[in-house]
Amino acid sequence: MNNLNEQILNLAEAEDIESEILDSDDNCITLKTKIRHIRNFIQDTPTTSKTRQSETSSQILNVDSHPFVSANLTENSCTQSSQNPFSQASNTVSTNINSFTKDCEDVSDGNGTYRINPSSCSGPSNDFNVYCEVGSDDRYWTVIQFLQEKEVKMSEFKLHHHVSELMNLLRVRSTDTVGAEVYTEMLQKNTTPYITTQVSAHQAKRKIAESSTTPIEFLAKYDELKGKNMRDLDPLVLLLSQLTEEEQTKKILEKQAKTKADEAGMTLLQHGKIFSQLPAPGAKITNQEFTELKDMLLKESKSVAVNIPPQPEWLFQRPSLTLDFIVGVDEPIDQNIVPLGSLPLPMQEQAIIEDLLKCMEGIEGKYILARALTERYAPKEFMIDESLDPSVQELVRRFLPLCSNYSTVVRFIEEKSAFEYGLVNHALSASMRTLIKDYMVLVAQLEQQYRNGNLTLQKFWFYIQPTMRTLDILASIANSINRGECIGGAVLSLLHEKTSGLIGDAKCQELCLFLTQSACVPYFEILEKWIYKGIIKDPYSEFLVEENETIQKEKLQEDYNDAYWDQHYTICRERIPVFLEQVADKILNTGKYLNVIRLCGRDPKFPYAVEMVYTLKERKYYDQIEKAYSYASKLLLDLLMKEKELNSRIKSIKHYFLLDKGDFLVQFMDMTEEEMKQDIDNIMPSRLESLLELALRTSTANVDPFKDDLKVELLPYDLITQLFQILTIDTKQEKDYRVDPTDLHLSGLEAFSFDYVVKWPVSLVLNRKALTRYQMLFRHLFYCKHVERQLCSVWIGNKAAKMYSLHSCKWYSAAFALRQKMLNFVQNFEYYMLFEVIEYNWHVFQSNMDSVSNIDNVLDYHSDFLDNCLKDCMLTNPDLLKTVHKLMMVCVTFSNFIQRLSSSTSVEVETKPTRESSLQATKKD
Amino acid sequence: MPREIITLQLGQCGNQIGMEFWKQLCSEHGISPEGILEDFATEGTDRKDVFFYQADDEHYIPRAVLLDLEPRVINSIMNSPYANLYNPENVYLSKHGGGAGNNWASGYTQAEKLYEEIFDIIDREADGSDSLEGFVLCHSIAGGTGSGMGSYLLERLNDRFPKKLIQTYSVFPNLDEISDVVVQPYNSLLTLKRLTQNADCVVVLDNTALHRIAADRLHIDTPSFAQINQLVSTVMSTSTTTLRYPGYMNNDLIGLIASLIPTPRLHYLMTGYTPLTTAAQVASVRKTTVLDVMRRLLQPKNMMVSTPVHRQANHCYISILNIIQGEVDPTQVHKSLQRIRERKLAQFIPWGPASIQVALSRKSPYIQTANRVSGLMLANHTSISSLFERTLNQFDKLRKREAFMDQEVIQQLVDEYQAATKPDYLAWGTQQASGSVDRI
Repeated sequence: MNNLNEQILNLAEAEDIESEILDSDDNCITLKTKIRHIRNFIQDTPTTSKTRQSETSSQILNVDSHPFVSANLTENSCTQSSQNPFSQASNTVSTNINSFTKDCEDVSDGNGTYRINPSSCSGPSNDFNVYCEVGSDDRYWTVIQFLQEKEVKMSEFKLHHHVSELMNLLRVRSTDTVGAEVYTEMLQKNTTPYITTQVSAHQAKRKIAESSTTPIEFLAKYDELKGKNMRDLDPLVLLLSQLTEEEQTKKILEKQAKTKADEAGMTLLQHGKIFSQLPAPGAKITNQEFTELKDMLLKESKSVAVNIPPQPEWLFQRPSLTLDFIVGVDEPIDQNIVPLGSLPLPMQEQAIIEDLLKCMEGIEGKYILARALTERYAPKEFMIDESLDPSVQELVRRFLPLCSNYSTVVRFIEEKSAFEYGLVNHALSASMRTLIKDYMVLVAQLEQQYRNGNLTLQKFWFYIQPTMRTLDILASIANSINRGECIGGAVLSLLHEKTSGLIGDAKCQELCLFLTQSACVPYFEILEKWIYKGIIKDPYSEFLVEENETIQKEKLQEDYNDAYWDQHYTICRERIPVFLEQVADKILNTGKYLNVIRLCGRDPKFPYAVEMVYTLKERKYYDQIEKAYSYASKLLLDLLMKEKELNSRIKSIKHYFLLDKGDFLVQFMDMTEEEMKQDIDNIMPSRLESLLELALRTSTANVDPFKDDLKVELLPYDLITQLFQILTIDTKQEKDYRVDPTDLHLSGLEAFSFDYVVKWPVSLVLNRKALTRYQMLFRHLFYCKHVERQLCSVWIGNKAAKMYSLHSCKWYSAAFALRQKMLNFVQNFEYYMLFEVIEYNWHVFQSNMDSVSNIDNVLDYHSDFLDNCLKDCMLTNPDLLKTVHKLMMVCVTFSNFIQRLSSSTSVEVETKPTRESSLQATKKD
Repeated sequence: MPREIITLQLGQCGNQIGMEFWKQLCSEHGISPEGILEDFATEGTDRKDVFFYQADDEHYIPRAVLLDLEPRVINSIMNSPYANLYNPENVYLSKHGGGAGNNWASGYTQAEKLYEEIFDIIDREADGSDSLEGFVLCHSIAGGTGSGMGSYLLERLNDRFPKKLIQTYSVFPNLDEISDVVVQPYNSLLTLKRLTQNADCVVVLDNTALHRIAADRLHIDTPSFAQINQLVSTVMSTSTTTLRYPGYMNNDLIGLIASLIPTPRLHYLMTGYTPLTTAAQVASVRKTTVLDVMRRLLQPKNMMVSTPVHRQANHCYISILNIIQGEVDPTQVHKSLQRIRERKLAQFIPWGPASIQVALSRKSPYIQTANRVSGLMLANHTSISSLFERTLNQFDKLRKREAFMDQEVIQQLVDEYQAATKPDYLAWGTQQASGSVDRI
């Protein structure tokens, strides 16, 4: 990286760019400032901008085909105006941008640097110079250079992988006009977080509605989803709105949707076109959502395992077990019922009060009858005897919502008490039941009054006022939960939002708080168990952390990924209660850390465990989680660093894999020289093992306590093949490098590598992936050392040339010079890799490790260290690697040639009788 | 099974600097004068077995052979605290003890007679090591034993161990003062021929420069032999430090010298060391950085070879290896190299790749030094030819106009060094050869 920076600097020859590059390295500046940097940069060196295109990681932005990309950029650069200068709506704006052109399309003079102002916030400060290029296909390109940080580079790689995977999923052939590259580029520009303000979502919604053929249906669907409290709805809508402008993508998706539908044996409805189908395939386009979807699918395949005990049969056979109205049971109709209208008014009132009291308990009255439910969660409706006095009837109607709410709540309680709705719903319905109990008491008291004859309808109305409000809230909660089919964390989020929404209404808020608190109890119990002990006890899979049991820790030794640490425990986004969203990662990590300690056979216990209670003010349990987190991370870090001596393990690995202990390697190479020359099939690994053992014992490596973990491995492929295989995964060239393993005749030297035995829990950090990277570095360095040795042995062979007369040695001088050049190259190359790359990064790594606070940091730093080493040793770039390898091959060929030559000439020299002492020889002269 | 190195100490001078060398090594490795490992030095991240081996009672014995034709110096070693360090079988003193009388021929012929006995010792040592890397020879080229016997040994070693490296630390006589040895130029010239043809690497230690450094840098007006020898032992121990304290690179002798010596005959190396201190001098401890050390190493006044610098401006470096010891950040090294390149502090040969190579090395943990960074430069510089020219001139003065084979070899060497300053060096051999053919 240093070198690259230097190179760029030299090219640019402008001091101030340096600071900008450094700034952008920090990765903390917003896109806005980045754009400013780029603008400055372009202004500074407008003439050279094209030539530098190849050196810097320039990205070409096609203004024509991705309008929303640039829209995004400009939207950020000019936040006060949310209008999009490229959309049709704001075409009028372009007229008031003084004399500046808006984009390259307006420049028709051909290639060159122009001053443009794409943002709609006009003013001289917002325009900048860009290089505009008119392509051969008459498309206009705006060249904007991104001198961006390396992090982006890495994520770019990942992104590319995701996109190509997605393309495969969608069965988009690479021959299509829109390749994976275009999307990658697009996504890269869009990695800025979505603007999820109400305004933009609303705008996007409108845009879709405009372009849709059936806007009403779309809006209805939107509202429905909104009502279900769906996560990520707004980003999705935003994405869809952008998709509407993307003609090519639309076409592909349409085609895709059609083929899919054909396969499923159904024809696509015309009006549905994209939008009815899109939520599924469309959502996958962004990286984040795609992975989420994958997780979800993975989980679904496993959630079958959740064991729910069956409900007893009689629960369903006896309908009268419910507290709700029983409808549809044919009771013998009471013949005594007289139409109410025929009674005098006080009698009518008395009769209707009795009926109301009954209805409040969920029993049909004589004159108020319940209607059968139209659907499962619909509110109860009632029929009142038409002959009732209109004024009374009016009053009674006002009572009826209470009864309806009661019915809803009771139904909710009964339904959610079933096993499959999970602990949170159980707790919620239990707490609701206590409230219903109070309600029943009230009803009983009212009935008492009624029996005493003290209850008039007006009084009745007065008494039930507070209860009405309570039941109203309960019912609305029940309804929302029913509608959203919420379980676990979602219920809690909903309750939380309700509670905080009722701010200002102290009494209701108290009620909601009560409900939330009691609903939180089982959830927090799970949480406590997780963050205090590292155990998940979650029978109904409600908890935000999910265990993936198929990933075993033993696989760390074998698998070439870090699946265990990343995927053994995962956060299930939709299960996080809103109030825990900010600390979700901390919760996950706390438990993960403790779990690791558990797996080491220890029983970690958080010493300050306090029961957590939900409060509206979030501080209290945050602190608790924070404390538990810091405790767990410290505990694990201590375990790894002190007890398992992680750092000295890594140091020990460095001794062997990164050639820190040079004498050991020299010795090992001396001893195995003969072995290494042979074909891989003829080498006995056991012999190599014993030689390794010997080399370890007799060199300075002997003092290393971990030396016995070093093993010998003979891999069936050489470094180049291995690297190309890794590098070309998921690119088009993949197949080119698939070498048939049978036609490879590897010598021991090419196949050789060290291996290292790592035990749990150190294998968390030194997993197979990390070890493979160490191995790659080692094999590269090992080969360089080998070449250096070869050249040195040529040197030794050549030393006899001193004795020759000038006349005969003239033929050698060219060879000497060549050898020296090669040796110089190899040694300098080694020096560069060992001292300037490895040792430097090691310094950085070590100083980072001193300040490390949790194991995730350790993992990050370690993989950063390896990544940087690999990258700067030129092992990640196939072209560079090929060149280096070729150079090395030339060196080996040369040294082989010279050795063959000198062995044949030395025979001639031997035959000459020059064995006398030189003194005698001189005397003869 | 390390790459062992056997040290041969010849004559008065060779034994004196050898003794200082072993003193230095013992203190760096924490070995007592009796050869027993000190308590504080048992952790063992260093390689003692390159220069030492362990006897049955675990005490360390140097791989050293002490040879002299007169008993004075060796006797003084045997009376010093280090007497028990050496293997007594490896100490060879001529029976009649008359010495070589400062006569090269005497030393050479005596050595010829003692061939069997000397090579008994050397063979025994060579067989005792698993993968012998080479020999280090300490001697002076002016006296009798060091030059004459040394010359003979060089020839024979080359015959017997053609694949082993032979490195010499050769002390060149002080040319500023009139020597008491009249035949000094003869001795020098005869030895130089063997050094050219039979040694693989000659580290030139110029007495003239050593005295100058002692006077200028250390402010000692009349430096004693011990003080001068301490300078020499510092150079010797530092140049082997990467072998004894292994790091990433340069962990064998061949790797060190192969890059320094591009063509076999141009194998005379100059050295420079900074910062120089003696045990007595505690005075000014200055701040040392990598750049500072590297820059000082390039200054001629720190060179341990006295060559007139400005007489011929086109002299240049063939190669440079800087061994930097101490707490060094690799980025500093990079920056310093860049700075030196920018300032063009060093002039390099035009015909090949050449740059300052850097070997970073650990310091001995048992010796406290005041300075954080210290450095040794091993350089192959064409100006060393002036040293040979001086020897030739003196020789000519002694022996006017007599064609002498040895002289021719050295003259050729001088020519070759001068040719190496030019871009067409690679074709030089051809031209010379054809030229000589013409003359015939």
